[in-house]
Amino acid sequence: MSATTTHDEHHDDHGPGKGIMRWITTTNHKDIGTLYLFFALAMLFVGGAMSLVIRAELFQPGLQFVNPDFFNQMTTMHALIMVFGMIMPAFVGFANWMVPMMIGAPDMALPRLNNWSFWILPFAGTMLLSTLFMDGGGPASGWTLYPPLVLQTGNALPFAIFAVHLLGVSSIMGAINIIVTIMNMRAPGMTLMKMPLFVWTWLITAYLLIAVMPVLAGGVTMLLTDAFFGTSFFNAAGGGDPVLFQHIFWFFGHPEVYIIILPAFGIVSQVIPTFSRKPLFGHDSMVYATASIAFLSFIVWAHHMFTVGMPLAGQLFFMLSTMLIAVPTGVKVFNWTSTMWKGSLSFETPMLFALAFLFLFTIGGFSGLMLAIVPADFQYHDSYFVVAHFHYVLVPGALFGAIAGAYYWMPKWTGHMYDETLGKVHFWLSAIFVNVLFFPQHFLGLAGMPRRIPDYATQFADFNAISSIGAFGFGFSQLLLVYIVFKCIRGGKKATDQVWDGAEGLEWTVPSPAPYHTFEEAPEVR
Amino acid sequence: MSTVANDTERQQRIRRTAIVLGLVALAFYAGFIAMGVLNS
Repeated sequence: MSATTTHDEHHDDHGPGKGIMRWITTTNHKDIGTLYLFFALAMLFVGGAMSLVIRAELFQPGLQFVNPDFFNQMTTMHALIMVFGMIMPAFVGFANWMVPMMIGAPDMALPRLNNWSFWILPFAGTMLLSTLFMDGGGPASGWTLYPPLVLQTGNALPFAIFAVHLLGVSSIMGAINIIVTIMNMRAPGMTLMKMPLFVWTWLITAYLLIAVMPVLAGGVTMLLTDAFFGTSFFNAAGGGDPVLFQHIFWFFGHPEVYIIILPAFGIVSQVIPTFSRKPLFGHDSMVYATASIAFLSFIVWAHHMFTVGMPLAGQLFFMLSTMLIAVPTGVKVFNWTSTMWKGSLSFETPMLFALAFLFLFTIGGFSGLMLAIVPADFQYHDSYFVVAHFHYVLVPGALFGAIAGAYYWMPKWTGHMYDETLGKVHFWLSAIFVNVLFFPQHFLGLAGMPRRIPDYATQFADFNAISSIGAFGFGFSQLLLVYIVFKCIRGGKKATDQVWDGAEGLEWTVPSPAPYHTFEEAPEVR
Repeated sequence: MSTVANDTERQQRIRRTAIVLGLVALAFYAGFIAMGVLNS
């Protein structure tokens, strides 16, 4: 270190601030990571409560509890909250906590921007939720916000659009910070190909975010000008084209799916080697597979729009490019399986969630391949089969990945081991109920039940009842996660520095709990 | 960890990378609106 004072030395003599101001003004990556994670946990229950309204209404045929318009608001807000308010912030929280520690950096490269990125979120989330109480209610067009339907929203429309803008700005600032950190703050010797898979998946995710969040912002800005400034981007009567919005939305929307799932891939790629006590099989091929998935995600968007109508060449292109994604995804599943092959396996809670991820995400992947087949998609489109497909990808896929990460790193964050017995109970309840919830929805879709309806023909009653029972079981099981988290924060068996005997990487070389400032002196990576 | 010169250089690199990425994001935002204008 130079004799002259540097930025790093300013940190040596101070710890966390006191009281509420610590959390409002913090620029520490661990504090901000914690804020993101608790925000995501809160939103899990807000979005989850909305899904329980939906499933309560669908428990029996007929209209039971809510009117159809409010039902549509629930489906829309459930999706927006879960995607933008829960799962994305959860993974940004993991990135904040773990990326600097994994690459041997003292903090994120842009700590003040990091603070802003987080604190925009509660305001945007509150504004989005407040639309439910406005004249005419919240947006009820589905999370896709398709015009002309979304333009029928009452006073809430500009507020919902502004909230989406703010959520996008927050994500873009977070993504810039992650890229800048990884590209400029790595410890000496930490070459790109030595980086852990979680860091790699987040680097690629951050590039995806920067490319597609502005596209969504552009699309909703055009919606805003159509609604209030007399433009006709999507108004056929004025020379516009509503299908243009669908193209713009899905150019954002499909990569968004990978923005959600790639960090989960990264977490699973950390967890499986640890509990197999073997290095990750094919690290470099995992990196290339992740990059391939990210690239392909930009050229498949119109598979969401087959029924809109497009030339045969377009249908073939989007069908085949979509199917191509199965190749790098298959590489990943193969590598995770090969990592476990002849490993010294143990089945602690993070490993259980990672294994459930492996099986159940693959089911979601297979149903995605079915949906990619154009003539089949004409039957499945807008049916409950689609709902089952993307929920398998997002819940036992992305959410289980996040939960696996939470259990895996919780001892490093809190300094205590979580209650392993309760963790396993949480796992089995979640794994059973998530299948009770979503598997019957495949049958409903194949039998012809459309999505986004509050009432249905009596032939669909049995599977809907089973699905609703699964929803309530899964929802209430997550209360156990909250209990386990707070119990772990308050105390428990002291965690060692390495925590798991198969864990490798810089983050396991620092004490548990990780000190407020880590790697003030950059570690040497060999 | 780093000399003052390296620290300054790194800060400049950080600033430069962040600005470039921000401009890329802005370009995607404006570009897609421009595409919408040309289409309508």
